[in-house]
Amino acid sequence: MRKVTDGSTSLKRRRFLQGAVTTGAAAAAGCLGGGGGGGDRVPMDVTEWPPEDLESNLNLWNWYDSWAEYAIDAFGEEFDVDVSNSGYSSADQWYSQLQAGNDEIDNIAATTNWVERSIENDFLHEIPVDVMPAWDNITDRIKEASSYQQDGSVYGVPESLVLYPLTYNDEYFDSAPDSWGVLWDEEHEGDLCMWDNATVSCQIAALYTGQDPIQPDDYDEIEEVLIQQKPLLQTYWGDYQQGMSLFVNEDVVAGPLTMGRTYTARFQEDAPVHYTAPQEGAMYTSDLFVIPKGAPNPIASLQFTNWASETENAAQLFETMGYQPAVDISDELSEEDAEFTNWPDEWDLVFSETLSDEVRSRYDEIWTAVKAA
Amino acid sequence: MAESPRSDDERVSPSGDGETVAGTDREVATDGGTASGVDGRVSDLTTFLRERPRLRTLSIAGPPYGILLFFFAIPLLAMLVVSFQADRIGGAWTLRNYTGFLTSETYLTVVWRTFLISVQVTAIVAGVGYGLAYSIVRFSRRTTLLLLLVILPFWTSYIIRMYAWINILQSDGVLDSTLNLAGLPALSLLYTDTAVLIGFTYVWLPLAVLPFYASLTNLDGDLIEASKDLGAGPIRTFLSVTLPMTINGVITGIVLVFIPTFGSFITPRLLGGTNNIMIGMVIENQFKSAFNWPFGAAIGIVISVVVVVLLVLATRLGGGLFGAGGETS
Repeated sequence: MRKVTDGSTSLKRRRFLQGAVTTGAAAAAGCLGGGGGGGDRVPMDVTEWPPEDLESNLNLWNWYDSWAEYAIDAFGEEFDVDVSNSGYSSADQWYSQLQAGNDEIDNIAATTNWVERSIENDFLHEIPVDVMPAWDNITDRIKEASSYQQDGSVYGVPESLVLYPLTYNDEYFDSAPDSWGVLWDEEHEGDLCMWDNATVSCQIAALYTGQDPIQPDDYDEIEEVLIQQKPLLQTYWGDYQQGMSLFVNEDVVAGPLTMGRTYTARFQEDAPVHYTAPQEGAMYTSDLFVIPKGAPNPIASLQFTNWASETENAAQLFETMGYQPAVDISDELSEEDAEFTNWPDEWDLVFSETLSDEVRSRYDEIWTAVKAA
Repeated sequence: MAESPRSDDERVSPSGDGETVAGTDREVATDGGTASGVDGRVSDLTTFLRERPRLRTLSIAGPPYGILLFFFAIPLLAMLVVSFQADRIGGAWTLRNYTGFLTSETYLTVVWRTFLISVQVTAIVAGVGYGLAYSIVRFSRRTTLLLLLVILPFWTSYIIRMYAWINILQSDGVLDSTLNLAGLPALSLLYTDTAVLIGFTYVWLPLAVLPFYASLTNLDGDLIEASKDLGAGPIRTFLSVTLPMTINGVITGIVLVFIPTFGSFITPRLLGGTNNIMIGMVIENQFKSAFNWPFGAAIGIVISVVVVVLLVLATRLGGGLFGAGGETS
């Protein structure tokens, strides 16, 4: 279990070292914040809805770029707020800003494990979800998952569900493959790919070998099957666009890809792809809206979080990016989209809980060994 | 060549004819009293510093050394400290990160593979770059245009350049289509070792060409003619005159290519297949997904030491073989 506090002395030393290690990168990025900022109010000061006296600016860090473009216009016009967005590709980009002392970012779309890290380090504002009308829109399935609620406090509002399915070429396969074993099938040698991500790939191997992907009991078996699989693969993709292109160009016929990228490949690139959760199960996680401490416009950020969770606006996340919002949008979708976004009850979906240090470390060692083999 | 000491208040005259004037009082007098007052204070400050040589040295050398101290030395020191901590920043002191790395066959295999790729890339870039720089200096009149073309890729994002190569090298991409049009078989180079070498060569070529060009520009062409007059052939002239006289530029180019290649992780990830792991990717993983910063810091320290040692050895070897210091500029 991760230790949350080590005492004030060690905490200061850790902060100093973290700061020193990240100073170079932070300075190069021109983001040496001074901490503080954010005015006098915090989100928990809002006890009635709607909040009054919104700030006139809002700085988003949301990696759903296309949806953010919609939000910039729609939210900006509705609330007379000047909205900007910094799209990012890797969570450490905004996390290092929080470590250096945030005085710029108002609202982040953050993946669960990074939210947990941020809560541990006291980087996030608590959010008064009880007064937010749109909180009721969040589906129970995702509301109860994740650990963004700690000790009775809520530090995030779910934005989306992110499924890590098996994506496949639906012209090559007559029906959806029912097992992760398709990625070990010599019949498809050279037409398969895996994700260059230690956790995702090791968890797929864990599912394939019938183990618990959160706490596996046979690491050697995971490493062994991943090494066995290697000659069958065309490549390990390391970038979402690259992964999608493999399917769009029909370089591969099966492999892991996110649901959103599969949607984009299918409906925007006209690629013959679909996705499924094999019988062994599939992992999913969530992205959440969080308001970091030091946010210069925390009340506008809170209003935005509520606005984004309204059904009409949440539906745009699917329409623009193909990701499943944390809000039930079934009434907003076309028949085709509703079919695509439907996750059958028989699918065995496993929430991607934050891994223990030991499991994460072992997965990383395994993945390095597999790639070096 | 050592420069002769020059007094601080000497100024090159505006006419640029080499005449010097003492101070600038006469010039600022026409600008009004305020400017003259400012100049007077500058003059006082100059005098003050001149009488205190240590303070003057500090005022000149302090800012750059300060930047080096705060943005390089202290972060490096912090990284060194972190590398001796267990699991997380603030963890217990340990040597485990170093012993774990140095005794792991997996990690040493990755280092060796990284070394081989870096050597290959450096050799290719040095060969192509030297030839390019030589032809620009010796055979071209449009030097500026050609140099502009060499550095042009730097104006585009690294990632975008890699995606351009994906489009060129992928199956049925630009390269394969061109070969098909010529009646040749497709190569499908993407996700191969060759693709990684091509990507690296393209990215680092400008870094090598510029120092090569600078050193070749300073090469006295008469020495080459003299060598030929004495009966040396082209190869012997190159090995005994051209290369030794430009070895400093060559070493600079090699250093500029070898170091970033050793730490690269984007190019092999985007262009390479399943066997193109490099140590930079392992370090990146420690910070971005494994969250084992101390282990990542330890690998970074070890790799830094290895690279510095390799470069020192290579520099001495190169200097010994060819007689470093051919250039005097």
